[in-house]
Amino acid sequence: MSMLAIGSLFAVVTIALMLSGAPIAFALGAVAVIFMAFFMPGSSLDTITQNVYEEMASITLLSIPLFILKGAAIGRTRAGQDLYAAMHAWLHRVPGGLGIANVMACALFAAMAGSSPATCSAIGSAGIPEMRKRGYSPGFAAGIIAAGGTLGILLPPSITMILYAVASEQSLGRLFLAGIGPGVLLVLLFAGYAVLRYRTEHRHATAAFAGAGTESALLSKERFSMRQKVEMLPRVVPFVVLLLGVMVALYGGFATPSETAGLGALLALVLIAVVYGVWRVKDLTPILAATIKESTMLMFIIGMSLLFSYVMSYLHISQSLAQWIVALALSKWLLLAAILALVVVLGFFLPPVSIILMTAPIILPPLKAAGFDLIWFGILMTIVMEAGLIHPPVGLNLFVIKNIAPDISLGQIIRGVIPFVGLMFLAVVLICLMPKIATGLPDAVMGQVTAR
Amino acid sequence: MRPEPSPPAQAGATSLPPVSAAFPSAVVERGTPRLLVPIAHALALANRAMVGLGMVALLLASLVLTSSVLARYFLKASTDWQDETAVFLLVGATFLASAFVQSIRGHVGIEALSSVLSKNVNAARRIGVDALSLAFCALFAWKSWTLMREAATDHMTTNSTWGPPLWIPYFLMSLGMTLLALQLLVQLVAGINRWRGPVEAR
Repeated sequence: MSMLAIGSLFAVVTIALMLSGAPIAFALGAVAVIFMAFFMPGSSLDTITQNVYEEMASITLLSIPLFILKGAAIGRTRAGQDLYAAMHAWLHRVPGGLGIANVMACALFAAMAGSSPATCSAIGSAGIPEMRKRGYSPGFAAGIIAAGGTLGILLPPSITMILYAVASEQSLGRLFLAGIGPGVLLVLLFAGYAVLRYRTEHRHATAAFAGAGTESALLSKERFSMRQKVEMLPRVVPFVVLLLGVMVALYGGFATPSETAGLGALLALVLIAVVYGVWRVKDLTPILAATIKESTMLMFIIGMSLLFSYVMSYLHISQSLAQWIVALALSKWLLLAAILALVVVLGFFLPPVSIILMTAPIILPPLKAAGFDLIWFGILMTIVMEAGLIHPPVGLNLFVIKNIAPDISLGQIIRGVIPFVGLMFLAVVLICLMPKIATGLPDAVMGQVTAR
Repeated sequence: MRPEPSPPAQAGATSLPPVSAAFPSAVVERGTPRLLVPIAHALALANRAMVGLGMVALLLASLVLTSSVLARYFLKASTDWQDETAVFLLVGATFLASAFVQSIRGHVGIEALSSVLSKNVNAARRIGVDALSLAFCALFAWKSWTLMREAATDHMTTNSTWGPPLWIPYFLMSLGMTLLALQLLVQLVAGINRWRGPVEAR
């Protein structure tokens, strides 16, 4: 059978099984097994288990359950609300400060928990009611939280980045560092937009008050004494220390990324025991059960995606596709735009985990051939996939918000989120124009690497 | 479509279900034939035990990796066994808990079609999906046991200097996949049984 025929058949079978609604892991595994049976030597079926085990038994990949544990530990306490309350107390004087407080709280929480939906639900459950009480329009409030939550897969430790590092054979430490600059850029863009939008809403409210005397909560003032502000700090400090401690352990050369995962999980459990008194078996069981549930599901998808990629490369499908893309001889930036567009489309259907593992062998060789830095591209790809978490028609975060604020209609949420999607694409353009935003920090900390 | 964002299929840490929800009691699916109910209950019990083991494994893995950092820094000791121990623990936790995750339908799929198909077609689709998953997992379980037997008889070890025997993780993988296959079998039979019953009950 010709390459084109096998490739097309492979694509058709994959799409059919995925759309059947079968669990992604089993669908990918089944595709792999079917093609092994028909197109590969008979003995290859005997080695599937060894294949999956050897791919999965990497301590880098297996740090994922521990990062999830750390996030679950922090996500299931009041840490999110406390962090948010402190941010609010310190920023309330700034016009639009409440919006900024929400963005900052999301970013910090995301950096600790490493999960986008978890951030949305932890900060949003306190932040959305507060913003609405203060007169922010519901869509705006929802948009801030949905967008803030996506910072979770950009700031370290990010599960998406662990997979990208494995799939692209790049340094995880470097990739983590490269995410920080763009993460800060997005925080600034989101916060800037929050201020502008607040001023518009505030102006309308002032005009309405002057015209018809309709009072808006947006106009009321609030004061926090210095004492109140200082009292907020002790609950937040330990988590910031955890965050910084883990970063120092990693970049000070004391721990490998996977050891950092173990250390971080343990520290998080100790902290919630000390600060929130969460240490009894009955308190810890739901945290551990949620971790097991999510990490088992993810690790199965990862293991089977790797089996799927193995078959795709054994049959030379990925190589042929990659060669075909190179042979198109697209201009450098057109190639990049086309690939990012592909990621956006896949983002409609697949979680980031599967997108990375399934497409890496196809899209990375052409990008490398075109002279792009793969660390830098990893950041772009992550931002685009983040946008997938919040853009219609199906963004996971939108539904999380819908869950915690059921009275805001999905239409309002989507309208509130769209400007933030625009800001994310603006960030992508900025990072293309100034690659140093991403690569500057890792180059400064870990030294420049020229030949990649 | 992204994995269905309804609570059971979603990232675990997002919503905060009550403590009891960590171990949902309704693990025996509606329509399970009477003959299979004892097996379903036994599986539920086994799954609970496996999740318990998984929890311990998670905590142990964190401890082992932390000790690795401390041992290297304070005792200048070499840390050759920690990574592999953590790998064994975490691989074990993953495979052993897979049947539990399947019992609450926690392995996410792309549910885009389910909203456009009729109830009847959907029931048939779910049976097909379970059958496919069962076929794959059963094959995987079988091949894991043969792999384990090979590793045990040939005394295979990992490539490291510490070199622990490979039959240990292979055994955990085989056991986990077998439980998963059994779980899928029970769910598949329950699905077919519902199909044979009155239309409303599908």
